[in-house]
Amino acid sequence: MWRFLRRLLTSEYLVLLLTALYVLCLWPFAPEIVSAQTALEVIMAMLPLLLLAIGQTFVLIVAGIDLSITSTMAFSSVVAAALMTGDGGYLAGNALAVPVALIAFLLIGLAVGCANGLCVVRLGMPSFMVTLVAQTFLSGAAIWFTSLHSTSVSIGDLPAAFSVIGRGGIAGIPYALLLCLVVAFAAHWLLGRTTLGRWLYAVGNNPRAATVSGVPTGRVIIIAFVLSGFCAALASIVYTSRLETGTPVLGQRVLLDVIGAAVIGGVSLFGGRGKISWVILGVLFLSVVDKGLQLLGLSQSIVFAVKGGVILLAAIIDALRSRILVRVAA
Amino acid sequence: MSSARDSAASERAGGAPLLKVEGLRKSFFGVEVLKGVSFTLEAGKALGVIGENGSGKSTTMNIINGLLPPSAGTMAIDGRPYAPANSKEAARAGIAFIHQELNLFENLSIAENLALQAFPRRISWLPQIDKARMRARAADLLRRVDLDLSPDMLVNRLAPGERQLVEIAKALSGDARIIVFDEPTTSLTSREAERLFALVAQLKARGLGVIYISHILEDVLRLCDDVVTLRDGTMVDNRPAASVTTGHLIESMLGRPIAELFPPRSAAAPRQEVALDVRGLTQPGIVHDLTFRVMRGEIVGIAGLMGSGRSETARILFGLDPALSGTVAVNGTVIAQRSPRACMAAGMAFLTEDRRGDGLLLPEGVLTNVELARLADLRTNAAAPLPQAMLDRDASEAARSVRIKAHDLVRQPVLSLSGGNQQKVVLAKWLLREPAVFILDEPTRGIDVGAKAEIYGLVRQLAERGTGVLVISSEVEELLGVCDRVLTMAHGEIVAEFTWPELDRAAILRAAMQRQEGAA
Amino acid sequence: MQTSSTRASLAVLRSAPALLFVAVVVLFAILAPRFLEVQNFANILTQSANVAIVAVGMTFVLLLAGVDLSVGAAMYVCAAVAGLYFKDLPAPAAMALMTAIGALFGAINALFIVGLGIAAFIVTLATLFVGRGLALHLSQTKMVFAGDPVLAFGQGGFLGISYAVWTMAIVLLLALWVQQWTPYGRYLYAIGADREGARKAGIPVRRVVFATYVLCGTLAGLGGFVSFSQVAAASSGFGLQKEFPVIAAAVLGGTSLFGGRGGVLGSVFGAILIQTVQNGLVLLNANPYLYPLVISAIIFIAVLLDSQRTRILARLTRRQIRIEPGVEARRSTAT
Repeated sequence: MWRFLRRLLTSEYLVLLLTALYVLCLWPFAPEIVSAQTALEVIMAMLPLLLLAIGQTFVLIVAGIDLSITSTMAFSSVVAAALMTGDGGYLAGNALAVPVALIAFLLIGLAVGCANGLCVVRLGMPSFMVTLVAQTFLSGAAIWFTSLHSTSVSIGDLPAAFSVIGRGGIAGIPYALLLCLVVAFAAHWLLGRTTLGRWLYAVGNNPRAATVSGVPTGRVIIIAFVLSGFCAALASIVYTSRLETGTPVLGQRVLLDVIGAAVIGGVSLFGGRGKISWVILGVLFLSVVDKGLQLLGLSQSIVFAVKGGVILLAAIIDALRSRILVRVAA
Repeated sequence: MSSARDSAASERAGGAPLLKVEGLRKSFFGVEVLKGVSFTLEAGKALGVIGENGSGKSTTMNIINGLLPPSAGTMAIDGRPYAPANSKEAARAGIAFIHQELNLFENLSIAENLALQAFPRRISWLPQIDKARMRARAADLLRRVDLDLSPDMLVNRLAPGERQLVEIAKALSGDARIIVFDEPTTSLTSREAERLFALVAQLKARGLGVIYISHILEDVLRLCDDVVTLRDGTMVDNRPAASVTTGHLIESMLGRPIAELFPPRSAAAPRQEVALDVRGLTQPGIVHDLTFRVMRGEIVGIAGLMGSGRSETARILFGLDPALSGTVAVNGTVIAQRSPRACMAAGMAFLTEDRRGDGLLLPEGVLTNVELARLADLRTNAAAPLPQAMLDRDASEAARSVRIKAHDLVRQPVLSLSGGNQQKVVLAKWLLREPAVFILDEPTRGIDVGAKAEIYGLVRQLAERGTGVLVISSEVEELLGVCDRVLTMAHGEIVAEFTWPELDRAAILRAAMQRQEGAA
Repeated sequence: MQTSSTRASLAVLRSAPALLFVAVVVLFAILAPRFLEVQNFANILTQSANVAIVAVGMTFVLLLAGVDLSVGAAMYVCAAVAGLYFKDLPAPAAMALMTAIGALFGAINALFIVGLGIAAFIVTLATLFVGRGLALHLSQTKMVFAGDPVLAFGQGGFLGISYAVWTMAIVLLLALWVQQWTPYGRYLYAIGADREGARKAGIPVRRVVFATYVLCGTLAGLGGFVSFSQVAAASSGFGLQKEFPVIAAAVLGGTSLFGGRGGVLGSVFGAILIQTVQNGLVLLNANPYLYPLVISAIIFIAVLLDSQRTRILARLTRRQIRIEPGVEARRSTAT
């Protein structure tokens, strides 16, 4: 029995199993959970979350954490929206408005990631503190920035060429899905098949041994944060174009989902362990949980609390898993 | 409590020894590291315990200290069974440990460190520390170890020797009856060491039992009444100190003629090309004006006590720690900005002292570990695809050539390998790069004798292929056995140099124990 | 030579918060004349009381090299329960109730951190969300109003000094006593400096850590009570991101995020410094949207100072192998 539990806990498919179990449990109470419509909605809800989780995975692998991703999204969202909004934007009506705005999204993401990474590496500040400060600063900056450009709490009237990113597609496949697939494949390839991937794991596993073996440890950590910022920017593009508004509260509540999804998938908070396929399963699990709670008609605040519980559960599983792995190895 | 001690004293009069250890055994993960150790310690006597690193000394002491439970065997204090579950119980039974790594809290005062086990209170129900009493007791203890400092001074302002004495004062505070010293003199100046020896004599005179662990055999013979020798987890010798010489002790520690353990020296003289050329390497407070060369094909040893700067030298050479001035050249080219990457590019390799901390990715497999240092050589973009097949082939080849015993080179984490095999993984990692200069810091720490012989053989082979090898070791016998030349370090300087066949154990040790002028 | 220059930079880093305080006071005194009025200082003290009280608990946690991100959520839960179900309790009873709920909250954190060995920041991040979600659910995301006795506490005072400041003073004195005079207080420092060493020395590490998270929750509850009595109503944003100024106050006051260094006196000072900045911004009629930016900049500076100090200390404590001629004996330059 113990051995079975142990195998289950360390299995890569534990999360998939949990997802199926959850759906089965909910089926009698909310039959619509098993339907094509629900599946589609879950997938669409998953996409930006997956982008964020992939970015977070790089940082978690080097034993850091990035709490600034939601604020990075919010800030890039309002700045880019202010550039292209038809309602008095800097580039309103200009043909280049949308490309410039897209570049703005990405530049902000890269810059925030770079700043986080530099603070962690060059100044020796703990990553959770650095990114927590970045979170408050950027969300404050996003609100302040919005107040300069709009009398309401968000910046709307975005060009149609932009909103099509979130809503349109080729041959029935949404652009967002394509983007996600490309990013997921690229990340998978980067982690598994390149020198950088090996270095990321090595730094997370044992930074001292990595340094002695000639790994440019500091640069690798900075790159991890930059990748996280970049992914946050991509997610921001998807969310903003779906909402057709730039808003300073964008994605305020998904931070925990992202970290939770990564940890549930099996990415270790202590660094050195994680795979993109695990993260996809983790995101799927959380999205299904979310959908299920909605279908049951629970209030937002309860969903909020339940998610906190799920994170705690994930952390417990992570701790158990590490212990078992150590024991099995020994 | 005092009545308990009285009855203990009366029992002791009845003939039971102060501490009796019988047939201790201990296994880790199925590997037996302690294979039946027995000895007795009488009150008022000192027992020396010697043995190479990995011989089972620390395991034995950890069992006595309650940090590890024995797999088999018994212990008795005053004839009564003694089986501590933790260090607190060991302390309660009257055993105090002075570790090589001092267990003092730098952010607390001397008095607080001395009282930490049981803070005195004025009112029993109020958890308020009676600072006056704490201070008075600390002052008393400091007097007993002859240390003239204010009890309120924070420990981070004390010199290493002073800290050692505070640690001893702590042992005295707990009414200890057995005091275990683990390599106590390594960080002391000669005056401090003399003070310590006088203190040990005092303790013996007061009827306490002393266990003294040290690499400096002369000290052991001078201080102790009996000497126990451990080798590979077995007690190979136990006899009165008066009846042995240091020569005896070395032989029983090694357990076999030196010729069997160490590979034959190459007939050819070292080549004339300089592999490593170090000039004037200086870092204030750490090392001073280090100048030496290692020829291609030569094995040079660095001897020195702990804290002499031997490991620090290696870290500076490899660019892990900074140096204020001086140059390091490999094959005639000076390395401009020393960093591990630059040093590796110049052809250096570095096997660190702390295998698990600096050398290995413990949860990863053998191949991943072996390939790690190779990745920096791939002269491609970090985001370009890895030549995985080539890497794996070369790494497996390297793993085979050093004979790593693992049932799966890819999936078995190196965490689960034995110490010897772990060290071979680190060796393979560097051998894969065919280094021009290989620095090995304590290459055989915590490794059984068989693996040691293999590693010495590998090092010799490497030198014969033209690599300049620098071996740093605390085992003088090891340096005598493998090196062509030995440099001795003390207080951050090279103080002596010996060339084979004029390698003399006593002379090396004497040089290593030199004190810095004006240091005391 | 090198040592004395690093010691000098250490001294600068150590006095940086005090210099910052003087700079802030001088700046606001020049820009806003009202700033220097006695009444304004009394206001600053009263308004900083809640953060200062929570920061005391946070300091103990930080001394252990832990962290508690859930204090703001604990404050909200306490206020929601007290305001919804126990509105008519007299002030002391309400205070006791909220403190007890805070203690319970802290005990839950402690259970996961000590019992299951999960990283403190992830546990408290999770309980932050659980707590806020719970309180939002209980209050149906509506305003929760404080009862009249509680309100009276918030507005009242004794000897011309508000009850909030009295509470802060008592908490500070008690905490100072615990920190300096009890075994528990000294254990905090020992564990923060060297956890493994503390365990070896026979200190009941797990019990101390458990008690500390409970204490932090308790003081979060008390801080929640003081804050609730002052604002009279808890909206859905009550205590939101309160962990920031609280951690910042402690770190500004010289407590290290890396454990073993600092103390409660500095944390209270840090809380007052932060409130002084906010107060000055209000007097200057600064754009309120800029407050979070200013506060996070201050936190950044505090964390930066701490990490630099930790680096320098690590360099100083690295073992010296030789005594360089001409360098003064360490003790004479040590501070």
